[in-house]
Amino acid sequence: HIPEDTSDLLQYVKFQSSNFENILTWDSRPDSSPDTIYSVQYKTYGEREWLAKEGCQRITRKSCNLTLETGNLTELYYARVTAIDPGGRSATKMTDRFSSLQHTIIKPPDVTCIPKVRSIQMIVHPIYTPIRAGNGHQLTLEDIFQDLFYRIELHINDTYQMHLGGKQREFEFIGLTPDTEFLGTIVIFVPTWSKESAPYMCRVKTLPDRTWT
Amino acid sequence: GQEFQFGPCRVEGIVLQELWEAFWDMKDVVQAQDNITNVRLLRKEVLQNVSEAESCYLIHSLLKFYLNTIFKNYREKAVKFRILRSFSTLANNFVVIMSKLQPSQENEMFPISENARRRFLLFQREFKQLDREVALTKAFGEMDILLTWMETFYQ
Repeated sequence: HIPEDTSDLLQYVKFQSSNFENILTWDSRPDSSPDTIYSVQYKTYGEREWLAKEGCQRITRKSCNLTLETGNLTELYYARVTAIDPGGRSATKMTDRFSSLQHTIIKPPDVTCIPKVRSIQMIVHPIYTPIRAGNGHQLTLEDIFQDLFYRIELHINDTYQMHLGGKQREFEFIGLTPDTEFLGTIVIFVPTWSKESAPYMCRVKTLPDRTWT
Repeated sequence: GQEFQFGPCRVEGIVLQELWEAFWDMKDVVQAQDNITNVRLLRKEVLQNVSEAESCYLIHSLLKFYLNTIFKNYREKAVKFRILRSFSTLANNFVVIMSKLQPSQENEMFPISENARRRFLLFQREFKQLDREVALTKAFGEMDILLTWMETFYQ
């Protein structure tokens, strides 16, 4: 008996995670039927049971949000998708072992850039994740990653930048020229886990100096 | 610089990020060989809520086992899967950590060391219940669990 080739039904079953929002995604080959239906199961590594993910049973879309189900940072997880096409052919594929701590990507920070006459202040807002502590308190990235810090750059001109950095969330570049435009970039670093966010950018102009007018 | 502080045992000179990067280089290859998803050797009961005082005894036992049993017998596979560089980076760093750990042997520490030993035996018993090759592959693929736990003692 030669097993039927169903590789067209299901490909690239994997987790995509950013700031601990864990989305299971998959794909199928273009020649597969658009009426194919998909069902998702997940399990904690080391447990026996596969659990059906409510809301992702017999769906036609190719993604499923498993954030809540994979929210324990000390656990590792697997998920698997079963695809069934109108002709009754089916295929099941499993993800690699998933750890949100290792796999999550850090999104750019949320920053408020405040121009003054001779300085620019930058305030990084706390980044809340879907992860909750035992007491139900929602954790920020800083709560989860002890060695998280921010690196701030202010581009003065094509060749000259100013740098600030640290774990605090308020920074101020001083000694700037009034009424001048600057480009600020803010990046999050988590050294131990080799994580670096894409930069947040703000273009901002210092205020005119009206003291002598 | 950063260091490990396993209770009274202090270990300097290790860059945890390098251990992670070595593991990530081989993770997919190694974990793909382990298709037993319902058994986890480094279970919660082994690593959760370990006191500072216990941690030196436990890390010493675990690293000793990893070096003398797992790394020793997994080397051939490491060559086969072409992950020898990552394998060596991890092994060498574990040797350095081991060399700097001096868990106290004083009598008053016996209850604490006994606790740590019980945790280690949980892990070892689980390991011995599996087929030898399967157990080696699984233990090697669970080094991220070990590194994640070690990271909580990294300052």
